[in-house]
Order: sequence, then C-alpha cells, then structure tokens
Amino acid sequence: MRKLEEVLQDWEAVIGLEVHAELTTLETKMFCGCKLEFGADPNTHTCPVCLGLPGALPVPNKAAIESIVLAGLATNCDIEKRSMFYRKNYMYPDMSKNFQTTQGPVAFCMRGHLDLDVDGPAAKERITAAKLAEGEEDGNAVRTAEGYTAHVGITRIHMEEDAGKMNHVGGSEGRIAGATHSLVDYNRCGTPLIELVTEPDLRTPEEARLFMQKLRQIYLALGISDCSMEEGSLRCDGNVSLRRRGDKKLGVKTELKNMNSFKNLHDGLAYEICRQAEVLEEGGQIFQETRHWDPSAKRTIVMRVKETADDYRLFPEPDLAPYDLSDEFIESVRAKLPELPDQKAARFAKAFGLSAYDARHLVEHRATANFFEACMELAGADAAKLAKPVANLAINDVTAHMNAHDDFDLEDSPLTPARAVELVRLVADDTISSKQAKEVFAAVLDEDKDPAAIVKERGMEQVSDTGAIEAVVDAVLAANPDKVEQYRGGKTGLMGFFVGQCMKEMRGQGNPKLINELLGKKLG
Amino acid sequence: MSALDHAFACMSASDIRAGLAAKEFSAREIAESSLARVRALDGATHAFLETTEALALEQAAKLDAAVASGEADGLGALAGVPVAFKDNMNLAGTHTTCSSAMLANYVSPYTATCVARAIEAGGIPLGKLNMDEFAFGSSTETSAFGPSKNPWDLERVPGGSSGGSAAAVGAGLATMTLGSDTGGSIRQPGSFCGAVAVKPTYGVVSRYGVVAFGSSLDQVGPFTRSVADAALAMNAIAGRDPLDCTSQDIRTDYTANLDAGVRGMRIGIVPAFMEAKGLTAEVKAKVEEAAEHLRELGAELVEVDLPNAQAAMSAYYVLGPCEAFSNLARFDSVRYGYCDPGHKDLGGQYEASRAKGFGAEARRRIMLGSYLLSAGVYDTYYYPAQQVRTLITQDYARAYEQVDCILAPVAPRTSFKFGEVSDPTDMYLSDMFTISINIAGNGGMSLPVGLGADTNLPVGVQLISPQFKDESMLRVAAALETVYGPAPVAPLFREGADFKAPATIPDAADAVPGVDLPGLATESDVPGGVHQASSATERELSERLGAAEVVAAQVEGEAE
Amino acid sequence: MTQHVTEHDVRDIAEYTRIGLTDEEVAQMTVDLNAIIDSLRPITEYDLEGVEPTFHPIGGLSNVMRDDVEEPGFTQDVALENAPKQQDGCFLIPSILGEGGDR
Repeated sequence: MRKLEEVLQDWEAVIGLEVHAELTTLETKMFCGCKLEFGADPNTHTCPVCLGLPGALPVPNKAAIESIVLAGLATNCDIEKRSMFYRKNYMYPDMSKNFQTTQGPVAFCMRGHLDLDVDGPAAKERITAAKLAEGEEDGNAVRTAEGYTAHVGITRIHMEEDAGKMNHVGGSEGRIAGATHSLVDYNRCGTPLIELVTEPDLRTPEEARLFMQKLRQIYLALGISDCSMEEGSLRCDGNVSLRRRGDKKLGVKTELKNMNSFKNLHDGLAYEICRQAEVLEEGGQIFQETRHWDPSAKRTIVMRVKETADDYRLFPEPDLAPYDLSDEFIESVRAKLPELPDQKAARFAKAFGLSAYDARHLVEHRATANFFEACMELAGADAAKLAKPVANLAINDVTAHMNAHDDFDLEDSPLTPARAVELVRLVADDTISSKQAKEVFAAVLDEDKDPAAIVKERGMEQVSDTGAIEAVVDAVLAANPDKVEQYRGGKTGLMGFFVGQCMKEMRGQGNPKLINELLGKKLG
Repeated sequence: MSALDHAFACMSASDIRAGLAAKEFSAREIAESSLARVRALDGATHAFLETTEALALEQAAKLDAAVASGEADGLGALAGVPVAFKDNMNLAGTHTTCSSAMLANYVSPYTATCVARAIEAGGIPLGKLNMDEFAFGSSTETSAFGPSKNPWDLERVPGGSSGGSAAAVGAGLATMTLGSDTGGSIRQPGSFCGAVAVKPTYGVVSRYGVVAFGSSLDQVGPFTRSVADAALAMNAIAGRDPLDCTSQDIRTDYTANLDAGVRGMRIGIVPAFMEAKGLTAEVKAKVEEAAEHLRELGAELVEVDLPNAQAAMSAYYVLGPCEAFSNLARFDSVRYGYCDPGHKDLGGQYEASRAKGFGAEARRRIMLGSYLLSAGVYDTYYYPAQQVRTLITQDYARAYEQVDCILAPVAPRTSFKFGEVSDPTDMYLSDMFTISINIAGNGGMSLPVGLGADTNLPVGVQLISPQFKDESMLRVAAALETVYGPAPVAPLFREGADFKAPATIPDAADAVPGVDLPGLATESDVPGGVHQASSATERELSERLGAAEVVAAQVEGEAE
Repeated sequence: MTQHVTEHDVRDIAEYTRIGLTDEEVAQMTVDLNAIIDSLRPITEYDLEGVEPTFHPIGGLSNVMRDDVEEPGFTQDVALENAPKQQDGCFLIPSILGEGGDR
C-alpha cells in the first residue's frame, strides 16, 4: 500500500464525523433519576425506566437539554425551538426498550460550524492548501501565514440515550466472535448522549483529529462531559470516501468504528484512505460497509455490509411531549456559556502580546491554558515580559511531557505555576541558560523541588561577575597568542573558539553574553 | 355469618366509607369477606387472575387503626372500598401478566401510579383482573388464562379488553375496578356487563406503570355501579403525575356537579351514528329513550356532525399497531418474561420466545405495525393517520361549540356468545362509536340504561365530553341515573348467590419471579391463545399444555 | 383484494420483529395482513393537503421535564429478579453473533 502523502497527491479524501458525547457531568440519566456513575457494580443503577420494564415511562432530564443547547451555542448552531423525540426501533440486547429514544429530522441544534486552524506538519496533508498564497481559498479552507483555516460544517447535534454494556464471554479479547454468551449490564443504559454530525467537509486525517480535539476542548470548557475517549464517554465514527482530484462526484463511503483515541482516529482514517485508494487503483470497487479499526494489526476489517439502508421505523415518541423552547430558556442557557477556547486564545493574544499561533496552541489543552493564566497572575508587573517564555514552556516542554506521559496531570503535578514563573525568571535574569532550563524543568518534575533550589544544589548559577570573567578571558587570550594574532588578522570565526575556551574554564557557568562582550572588547 | 352474607363489594363506596367510619364493620371484615366472595363466586366469571390477600389485609389493618385512633375524618374517599386492577397495571409483588403467556412469570417490582393512588385513597386491593392479551381484543377471548364470563349470562363474553374489570363490578366482586381503554376497552365491556365505565380525557389519569398498548390512545379509568362512585374514583386517580409526561395538571372535583341536573345543557346527537348499519334496534331504542329522558330533564337536544368520524377506524388500525409494535419490542427474553430454553444463539432465543410468548393477535399487531412504519409505507398510512387525527379532533371541537356533551351508542349490540361469528362489518361500525374518542383524546363513558328489549342483556349509552371537561359527562350521567337508578349487580351474583364451585385463584403471596402464574390455558380453551413452556423452571405445565400453537381465527375490528 | 405484502415481505417483517414463524404461519399471516391493510384504504383516499398531523393528543403541552436529581432505584437483586438467566450480577444471553456485530 502506498503512503498517505502519496495517495493524497492523486486522491481527495472526503471525511465526515459522527461524534457521541455522554453528558457525564450530570447527576442522573436522560429519562430517569438513576445515578450516572462509571464503573459501579453491574445493574446497580437501574429502575423501571432504564430497565425497560413493562409500563415504565420516560421523563427527560432538563439539565441534559440545557447541556445540548450549550453545545449548540458553542458550535455556532441554530437552536431549533420546536423539536420532538422519536423512537428508533431495532432489537439489540444492550438497549432495554429495544428502541432508542433519539431525535428526528429536526434536532435541538442544526447548521453549526467550527473553524479549524491547521498549522505545522499537520497542514501538509492538505496538499492543495500548501500551494496557495496567504489569503487564497481552497474549497472550505483559507491559506494563513502558518497553514490554513478550514471551515467545517456541523449538520446537527441531537439528544439521545446511550445503551448498556455487554461483556462477551468465552471468546478472545472480549469480542463477539467466538463468544459463547454475553453478560449485559444496564447501568450505562439511558445515559444522556449528544451526537454531533459534521458535514463531509474534512479532507485529511489531521483535520479530523484537530476537529475532535477542538470539539473536546469546547465540551470540556462547557463542562458537559468528561470527554474520556478511553472510557468511551467521547466516541467518534468516521465516514470516508475518495474521489480523484478534480472530480465533483462523491465516491462510495465506508463507515469506520473503534477509533477511541486521537491517534487511532488519525491512523484509522489514514489507513482506510490508503486502502480505498489501492482498491480503486487496482480497478476494484468500494462497498458501503462498516469497518472496524484494529490498532494492533494497524488495519481496518469489515464488520457489516450494508446492502440496503437501515430501516429503523422511526416515529415520534408518543410518551414524550414535544419541545417548544422559549427565547427565555435559550437566553438563560446562553448566559451560562463560559469563555470558549477560541475566545480565550484571542484574549491571551491581546492581553499578553502573544502571537496567534502561540495563543491557539496554549488553549489546545484546558490544563495548559489554565496554567498559563495562573502564571501570568503570579508574574504581576512582569506578565508582559514573561508571557512569551511561559507560553513556550507550556506549549513546548509541558505539552511534550503530557504527550509522552498519558497519566500526567498538570494541575496535580510538581510543576506549579509559581515554580514555572520562578524558572522563567531564572532564565530572564541570566542566572541560568535556556539550555540549563530544560534540565531544571525535568528535575522539578522528577524531584518535586523549587527551580532555584535545584540550580543551587547543582551549582548551575551563571557567573555574571565581570571581574571574574575578565580574569578568565585574559588568561585564555594569554595562553593562545597565535590564535589572537590570526583573529586580529581577519579570522573572526575564531570567536567561537575563545568563547568555548572561556566556558570550559568556567565549567559552563559563565554568562555567555558577558564573555562575548569582554572578548570583543579585548580583541577589538 | 357467612362471608357471602355481607357482600361489601355490592355496596357503594360512600356507604362503605360511612359504615367504616361509624364502626358498623371493620376494614378487616371487608377485606376477608370480599376475598371470600371472590373465591366463592369467581369460578363462574373468571374475572380474577390473582388475589392479593396480604396487601388487602395490610391495607385493612391501616384503615382499622385509623378508625380506632379517631382519624375517621381523615379516611380517603375510597376508604374500605374493595378494588381490583386490570392485569396490565403493575402492583409491586404481584404478577403483571397482561393475560399473556409472555408475562405469565413476571412479578412486578414497582407499582403503577393509578394503582398507588387508588390504594392511597383507602381502597382495599383484592387482586388482578383478566383481560385480552396485551389488551388486543374485545371479549377476553385472547387471554392466555382463558376468557372471563359475562355475569349476566355466563355463556356470553364480558366484552374487552377490560373484560375482567367489567365482570368483577357487574358480579359485585368489587365495588370499583380500574381498566384501560385504547379504542373502547373500558366502555364496551362496561356496556356488556352493565357497569358505569369511564374513559377519561387522555392525560387526565397517569399511565405510569400501566403496560402500554397504544401510547397516544391508552387511558385508565374506573368501573363502578354508580356515577357517584365513578366520580369518587376519578377524584382518587386523576391528576398530574411527574412520572408521566403526558399527564395534565387538571384539578377538578368530579363529584362537584353531579346533582346539578341537565337543565339548560345542550346534548349532541350524531345522526350518522344513529343510522349506522349494524346498530341493533334494541340499542338504538335505548339511546333514543335516554335522549328523551334528557329532554324531559330539561336538556336541549342538538344534532351535530362528525364528518370525519368514519376515518377513525382506519386511523386507529394504523396508530394502534404502530405504537404496539414498538411498545412490545421490549419483550425479548433478556430481562424478564418468557424465555424459550436451550438456544445457543440469541437470534434463536428471540424468535422462539416471541413466537411462543405472544398470542396470534399480538403477533399480528406487532407485524402490522412494523410494516406500517417501514420506509415508504410510513407516508402512506402512519402520517396520514396522524393528519386524520387532526381532522377528527377538529370535528369534535366544532361540535362542542354547539353542545356540552354528546350522547351516542357504545356498542351496536349487547354481549355475544363465546366464539360467535360476527359480521365483520357490524364489528367495524361498532368500533366507530368508541374509537374516534380515543383518536381525538376526549372523554367518554358508558352508562348502564337497563336491559335490551330483545336480548334482555345490559345496554350502555355513551356520553362524550370535550377534552378535560370529563365532569360534564359525569353530570349528564348522574342526571340519567336519577331515571335508571344505579347499576344493579347481575342477578346470578346478588347476595346469597352460591355456585358451589369455589374458584382456585392463585394468590400474590405465592408469586415467585420466573415461575408462571398458574392457570395458563391450553390451546383448546382459548381461541387465539397459544401456549409456551415456562422459562425459569421445568415443570409439568409444559407437558400438560404442549407446544403447539393454534392460529386464531382472525378477529378484526374489535374494540380495545 | 390488493396484494400489499408477499410471503417474502412477511418473512422480512418476522425477521425484523424477531418472531419465528413456520411456513404455514407465514402463509396465514400474509393473508391476514393483506386483509387488514386493505381495510385501511380510507386513510389513503383522504384529501389531507395542508393538514398538520397530531402526534401528541395533549393540547399545547410541551417542554415537560424533570430536574437533574437522583431518585432511588433498584438494588442489583431486584433488577435481576425476573431475569430468565443471570450471571455475575448481569443478565445472561446466548451468543449474539449475527445480531449485527459490535457496535
């Protein structure tokens, strides 16, 4: 199979996402008062409603409706005042009523969008955008200084309920295949779930990943879900099809499941794009089917072939009154909107003089954004001066550490905002070099000590005493008269040699700026 | 004194409450004697599927304690009243079978709101009542436990689907029972058994805990032998329930204007109903007689048109099955109900359990509903049926601009014999009198007006209220009752009756989840019934009953 | 009488509704359903142009909701009380292969 970047030269990928988020921060389920709790003993959070007992009736959770309206407002959706719940009828054992209560043609939230800023290596996957000049358009994208901005349409966000959980016994890896029987736990059954469906506006796996990351940041900022892809409270399915560059007609799409991390989302889509390209290039045909991404085998496998569209016998749920949301209700929800990541980035850029790029990457994680803000508060009058180095620390060092350590929790780590400010101040006042700062950063996390203490312990303070440095400079020049001669004869490249010798004498602790200055003066 | 000598269940609710408060008798006496009467006489009617002795005695003890401590004034409106519930209503610790083999082993872990309210009002729960399977039928002949019999003629059906509820009141085995009505299932058996039978406006009584058939059509209501008792029952069970989104916050004292008379009221007559093909002369004569009485009592009779009422039947046979198909999907052998043994794959278990657990009529409704909702078909039937609902609702709204209440037949004829083959056209027309009310959602009731001239069997007339004005039909009914008198207990069951064949009715005290309620009928007993083996324990029942199924003769167009 | 559904259709419906029917039952059900569907014809012949449907016969009732407050539910024992088969606090079902796979 060819590589993604090669495939994308010839083919355009058309990707849409369906993102399910459980409203885990609520107290109770969608249609009953059972507690929402992950990991409880099986079937200990159930009642007549969520067990689907004969005669039980649903009553919607008001806070869930507020949550979905929040999600809609935060993703630029129109809030539909009039909508209904529907029954989606199909028999499956994890769904106690054997129908899912969901929404019909009109969802609470319709016609939204998110703008994705794609930069760095991620921007390279959209090859057409790379060829544009700044400000030039490429379909739904506009070229920017660092990459491009893609406008991604959101078809709808609708309210529904989650199913229970099944544990397949007797086969391998808990999969259905080979299992002799299954155990059903309805604790999760009836958990409020919002499903966001995008337009097929995504063109690369990186865009899909960025979209999910951005959406996750928004949901986290709204506080409506813990958005744990690992525990399944944030789930994503992808629809992908290919068409030859320049073609208008859409190809046959496949639906991709089990992409339960950002990496899997990217890699699963990338694999599927390459697979489809290979099939098509060999004259084959893509079938409309559901495929399962297997991260360990690094491939997608067929789960189910869809010969005909599923017929769910959808009809309006007679047990639930329709909705006719008032302006007052919608405005009361709008009033609860917190600052969203994009707004926060704009504020950071303005208040602290950061570049748009830095500000955007700072807010990619709520933790780094909060961390940055806390640091700025501690920096006080120096905030403007320290903003850039703190931002660099957060974007580069902290983010790299987070990416490398899944369980790293910045808010509960030895790197407190106070220590971070202390660390950047040590660099700013030339106590240590930026190279040494990396060592101190690692040591803070390892040893849970203050940066100043580490610097002192390790004897890392820079020598900025002019007298002491001058003595060393004089000694080095005296020991190398021939080199001094050559320098003065025009071989100015020897400056590096003199600096190196001085540093060596001072065991790396000389202030490089002062050394340079003094050498220049004495040699000049 | 024999338990049968004091037939409390033949008394009115207000007499029982008064006697209890005056300490003429105790609630314990009521409970014991009423249960004894049921055991002695229900062998003839088979209204009861299960008795609830422990709950009855527990409730009696509470009532007696209240009387003893001088709290008689605080007694609920139904204090001491022997009550019983259609078996599609959950009552914790008792079976809720819906008269289906599917739920023969199901024991409820919770209680329906209407049941809880009847008990909170002081009712003494005697047991659970027979019905057509999942309320699909109009005769109780589809009950998996065998049909109930009409107390006025044991050779005849009590009507349905709430046949047990009507028979129990007609036989004086309970003072008040609850039934449910999706297309006529309260009113038609009420007419057949000579009981006051009220289907309130949709949303007046909570449906929470009542096993759903047609969710947008179902409504719970009482059977009694007097209008005053019906009003007391309505006061007890009506009102907003936070557990039912479609229940309404209507606060009405249904007893308030029972004595107001009908002078000045305008009563609607629908000429198309009176001329309907199949309406028997004796029923027509009774409706005309009732109209004449109302005129004599000072009401004005006004002819009203319901031009779209003839479409109600088709709309009903679309909407009912569609909702039923979805409501009955939960019976899948996983969490409760019949589970066919020995399957290695879920698909096989599903298909065998649902094939054997559901009777023929239930299977037909489920499959019909599934077809009607399928892609492409939905727009042909389901959507137009909901539009027709709008037209019928508008018809009624227009009619109620001219009248306060409508008088109509309930059913075109009196009770028929078991297995009697009816002209389907007659049956279709008969439903038209009740079904359009469920489609529009307003209130309707059957009031007994004596016996038909030809068959000498009970006849009811139907009074139809505007939405949420159920008190107006009760007011008209109370006025007519001054002429006809309260409904009598069927002659065979009046005090001193003795059938010398006491019934063996299972009691809820023996209810064990997973073990079938005894009495599942064999296929020969029940036209349309099917048998299935039970899920939890192997037992002789399955051998006794065999696994064969009998596909019922198609029963169409019945009131439900 | 119009043939609205064929035996093949009835088999599809039986599969979808998970009701196992014998060949004779399929044949009988086909006859029954066609007869019933035929009787629904009036609904298809109505002039319903511009008529809004009434999905909920509840007047103007809308936005009925509850507060996000926990209510007591069942213990595990009660939840499983009616279970035909159970194991380890869960409802037990036989292999679900062929039910549409994982979701």
